[in-house]
Amino acid sequence: MEQKIIDLSFLELLISIATLLIPFLFFWIYKIRLIKSVIISVIRMIIQLTLVAIYLEWIFDKNNAWINSAWILVMLLVSVFTTIRRAELHWKNFAIPLFISGFTTIFIIDAFFLGYIIKLKYIFDAQYLIPISGMLLGNALNNNIIGLNSYYKGLKEKEELYQFLITNTGNKKLALQPFLETAIRKALNPMIATISVLGLISLPGMMTGQILGGVDPSIAIKYQFLIMIAIFVGCTMNLFLSIILANKNAFDSYDNFKSDEIVKEIN
Amino acid sequence: MEIHCENISLTFQEKKIFEDLNFTIKSGENICIGGESGKGKSSLLKIIAGQLKPTSGQIVFDAIPLNKNSIKSIRNQLIWIPQNINLPVYNGKQLIDLMQIKKNTALVKNYLNDLGLDNTFLTKDFSKISGGQKQRIIISICLSLNKEIVLMDEPTSSLDEHAIELLIQLIKKIKNKIFISASHNETWLQSVDKIIQL
Repeated sequence: MEQKIIDLSFLELLISIATLLIPFLFFWIYKIRLIKSVIISVIRMIIQLTLVAIYLEWIFDKNNAWINSAWILVMLLVSVFTTIRRAELHWKNFAIPLFISGFTTIFIIDAFFLGYIIKLKYIFDAQYLIPISGMLLGNALNNNIIGLNSYYKGLKEKEELYQFLITNTGNKKLALQPFLETAIRKALNPMIATISVLGLISLPGMMTGQILGGVDPSIAIKYQFLIMIAIFVGCTMNLFLSIILANKNAFDSYDNFKSDEIVKEIN
Repeated sequence: MEIHCENISLTFQEKKIFEDLNFTIKSGENICIGGESGKGKSSLLKIIAGQLKPTSGQIVFDAIPLNKNSIKSIRNQLIWIPQNINLPVYNGKQLIDLMQIKKNTALVKNYLNDLGLDNTFLTKDFSKISGGQKQRIIISICLSLNKEIVLMDEPTSSLDEHAIELLIQLIKKIKNKIFISASHNETWLQSVDKIIQL
């Protein structure tokens, strides 16, 4: 079913923005102060997407391994610093562990799915490498913010529980278990729910984009399946690695949690 | 077993909490750290437990100083009973599961009975029982760990006079341990062998 995709004019895109008036109306009626944040986010999105469109066109045109890898690296760095800021953690304890865990995840997932499953002849092909890495990083970002925030803030707020368990059991792994379980559940539950209803009540962006782009739905579904598995495996691996690596700096030599050095003051 | 506190000082935000504390506690002794609020009773107890590092001085357990190399083996000899704790569990049974000490359940039940509670309290929802009952359940679970040194932060804080008396009798029944508590409860202070006044 080869079909030419209908392009959108700038005017049509501008008109689509007008639909934002609906949520703004709700915010205004129910006095929820979110309008300013939404406007700022949308303006940022427009600028970012415009720049990315220009940049991606150039990247796709060159399709050079070094340029493509550098782009992934930039996305990874932005993702690391956004996670640290949004999870309200101290960057000096988290920048390196999060970078290493993100890099390891991207490397393993891309190598396996692009190299072994899709069997790309050129593994750095921008058409595959950039969207798949981008989707993985985007999901891992949300996942890590929720997971790391829950884990480290949980430890700060319930430090007495951790002290109780570590002193009485002498087992750090056991003492951290309730915090880890809560964090992993909070982070992964939305994704598990999404996976379970995929196709029934949700058609994800990637698949929709491919179908709109004229790709046969059966191929789009195969790619969607692949990407969901890659995202789930990647996000889980990234969160565990982030916590395991960041834990090295989070406790003193007596295994006491260094709460003030790890979590920013809760305002 | 002997615990030596050698020249222990603690300064917090440039304020001296206590300075140059020296004392020794031997097996079979029941010691209480006394003093008004803010004098550092709980902090001293946390220093002995390795939860807080002193500004200077050291704690020595049977000639082994508490440090990063010894903390793990020393923790294997410590029981920590906190004053108040928010636990992510519904009842005592779940706490036993969380601590992976199911084999201690019979002993926990014995201690519960000694503290005036029947076995059914192990499965009662923490949110539906009184603070004193919850405290007695946690004390019973901790004591069942059967280690050498028992550290108790304000063990009577939620207990009525009758329950305090039962706890005093239970502590007296358990031999050859070191009990160190932090409290300003008069009945409790009268029951211990020695008071370290801050």
